[in-house]
Amino acid sequence: MTLLRGKKEVAGVEMRRRPLLRSREAALWIAPAALVILFIFGYSVITLLIQSFRYDGNWVGFDNFSIVITDPLFHIALKHNAILLITVPILVLIAFVLAITLFETRRGMRFFRSAVFLPYVLPIPVVAVIFGQIYQLHGALNVFLESIGLDSLAQDWLGDPKVALGTMSSVIIWKEVGFGVILMLAHIISLPNETYEAARIDGAGFWRTHISITRPAILNTIVFYGVIEAITMVSWVFNYVYVMSNGLGGPGNATMVSELYIYRSAFQDKAPELAATAAVFLFMATLLLMIAFFRIQRKSIAGTFNK
Amino acid sequence: MVRRYLSAFSAREVWEMKSKKVFVIGAFALALLLGACSSSSDKSTESTPTESAAAFPTEDLTLNISWWGEQEAPGATKWLEETIALYTKEHPNVTIKHVLQTTEGLVPAFEAAAAAQSGPDIQYFWGGIYAQQPGWDGNIVPVSDYIAEDELSHYINAKMEEGFQGKIWTAPWYVNPSFPLLVRKDILAANGLEVPTNWDQLMNVCDALSAKNITTIAGGVKDGWFGGWIYSILGAQSVQSQADVINAVVGNTKFTDPEHAGWWSKLEESKKHKCWNDDINSLELYQAQQRFVDGKAAMTITAGPDAPNFAKKAGGDEKVQIMAMPAWSDGPLAGKMGTTSQTLGITKWSKYPEVAADFLKFAHTSDRLNAWFAATGSMPADDRFDLTQVTSPSTKALFESAIQGAPYLENFIPAKLDTDAVFKNVQLVLKGTMTGPEAAADMQDQMERLRTSDRKLVDNFTAWAK
Repeated sequence: MTLLRGKKEVAGVEMRRRPLLRSREAALWIAPAALVILFIFGYSVITLLIQSFRYDGNWVGFDNFSIVITDPLFHIALKHNAILLITVPILVLIAFVLAITLFETRRGMRFFRSAVFLPYVLPIPVVAVIFGQIYQLHGALNVFLESIGLDSLAQDWLGDPKVALGTMSSVIIWKEVGFGVILMLAHIISLPNETYEAARIDGAGFWRTHISITRPAILNTIVFYGVIEAITMVSWVFNYVYVMSNGLGGPGNATMVSELYIYRSAFQDKAPELAATAAVFLFMATLLLMIAFFRIQRKSIAGTFNK
Repeated sequence: MVRRYLSAFSAREVWEMKSKKVFVIGAFALALLLGACSSSSDKSTESTPTESAAAFPTEDLTLNISWWGEQEAPGATKWLEETIALYTKEHPNVTIKHVLQTTEGLVPAFEAAAAAQSGPDIQYFWGGIYAQQPGWDGNIVPVSDYIAEDELSHYINAKMEEGFQGKIWTAPWYVNPSFPLLVRKDILAANGLEVPTNWDQLMNVCDALSAKNITTIAGGVKDGWFGGWIYSILGAQSVQSQADVINAVVGNTKFTDPEHAGWWSKLEESKKHKCWNDDINSLELYQAQQRFVDGKAAMTITAGPDAPNFAKKAGGDEKVQIMAMPAWSDGPLAGKMGTTSQTLGITKWSKYPEVAADFLKFAHTSDRLNAWFAATGSMPADDRFDLTQVTSPSTKALFESAIQGAPYLENFIPAKLDTDAVFKNVQLVLKGTMTGPEAAADMQDQMERLRTSDRKLVDNFTAWAK
């Protein structure tokens, strides 16, 4: 009995040691790559932090933070990022609807799939320049609206501060939706066909099938896409805004976003310390989104395995 | 407290946490060390800009020029390449390369070079604050350290715009009469109108032409620049000199005071009289100007160097009149053409500032001045330029007006104020979503904020004003 217990204890210690040894071995293998990543990423983050506490080579404590956080233009930029964030559910919904529509489209699916994905692979400056022309007051969109008798809908899409941000988001949605469609479609295609057949035999219609079967089955992908797009809206819309508003974030401050604020502070206003401070805020916001993403992903993976 | 917290974990987990902590601290220390190394190397590269000019180097060397200007003075590239070829023929050990920057890219490209303390030897700057700021930031050396005072005294606007505490930061290259109003006499005559000579007459022309669905003044403010032009040609009319503007910048007066705020109301008035094209907010500056050439607008405002070309394209002196913006005020600068010179500076990190300076002087030799006019049709920034070769009366008048012109106001306010208040508010006033007084109040707010965020601004502007 004692011997048995002893053997069990030895085995227990062995079992405890093995993962420890394994994890140490793994750490050793990962270390060179981790060090390189840490150096590249960590160095820039630390430099950014140091710069945000300095002015003209001197340590100024939280002065830069105080300036940035009380700057009404920074508030406007953050507000616009938040508004763009609200468009993420719309983007996800459109991508989902298009993905299931393409899934159900038997003929010409390859063509439609390419057509939907095409905007995503176009360079942002090209897209922004083209839409900049289309959205002019006397541009193609308004000419079209007038030609079909919808003059009242014609707007100064990029010249009117009331609608400029909405116009900008429509371009972002148009460009980004293809990525979501392809992601979701790839996942839907990989789902077992039997489930759909069973649902159809049970009399489930189009929407019922996709809301009750497809949506939960590809939830991971939907969440992944949603978080990626949320990060895009917070920290990856610079190109759109820069090209479509000629680097101003106008008209007025109607399309000012935090990235443009950082760019202008660093390269136009010659205030790298304020740019670094604003970048710290943006970095923190992106980090929060990434943490949220990993948590959601972990939960949903765990949920999948539990099922 | 920490111990109690740690006791909840196994020894391995505690070890792992400690390892992580040590690793993070190590990485932080490494980064600090690297940061310290980089700043010490920065210091080691500092040079004294006031060193006297050395002898002309004989070894093979390369100069890089980062510039702008083809956009407003077409033909500038041709002239620059020709000038480089002639200069390198005289100095075979010198190679000169040049990069033409975009309008939006000019300042950021230089800022990136300044941050790296590496890049062009000769850098193009717009006049005034755009040339002062790099000097204040220590990114250029005064050209007056390398070019004699009697030579620099011929460079138009050098002292007014580029002078700072007895030094001249940059060498003016060509003059920008800023900014002429181009009027199509043929369109006005076809509608029974005459060229307006004061503000009220201009408003009457706007009323008459807009009633016939004709654009009076074509402009585009989407990219902002046109806003700065409008500020300068309207705002200058109610101040006594550039000193008034600098006073408002440093806080001695306010941008809401009548001499600084009046022009905003005039801009609003012009909007109410439908003087501008209705799509002014969705067009860029150069897109809009084309409408004047195409005969779709009776007037436009152009860059001075490009004005003769525009006039030529639209039918020459017979059909086009080049003039200053009609006066709305009786101030000393009202109705007077503004003047600014686009300039070239020598960067602090240039290894051959004396060669750069020699090239700048070469660009001001008589042959090169004449070649500039021949290539671009605009005026070189040198009072030794022989005006007799200008045959067009309107071009000649334009050049003469720029030699003793009014200060170009936009060059005497901080660039950030220009972007955050002038560019922005001109867009909003012309869209009709902001009134003149609101725009002035916002400009004052922006200025007050800027005095806080740019902690050297008041000192620099005060020193500049002396």
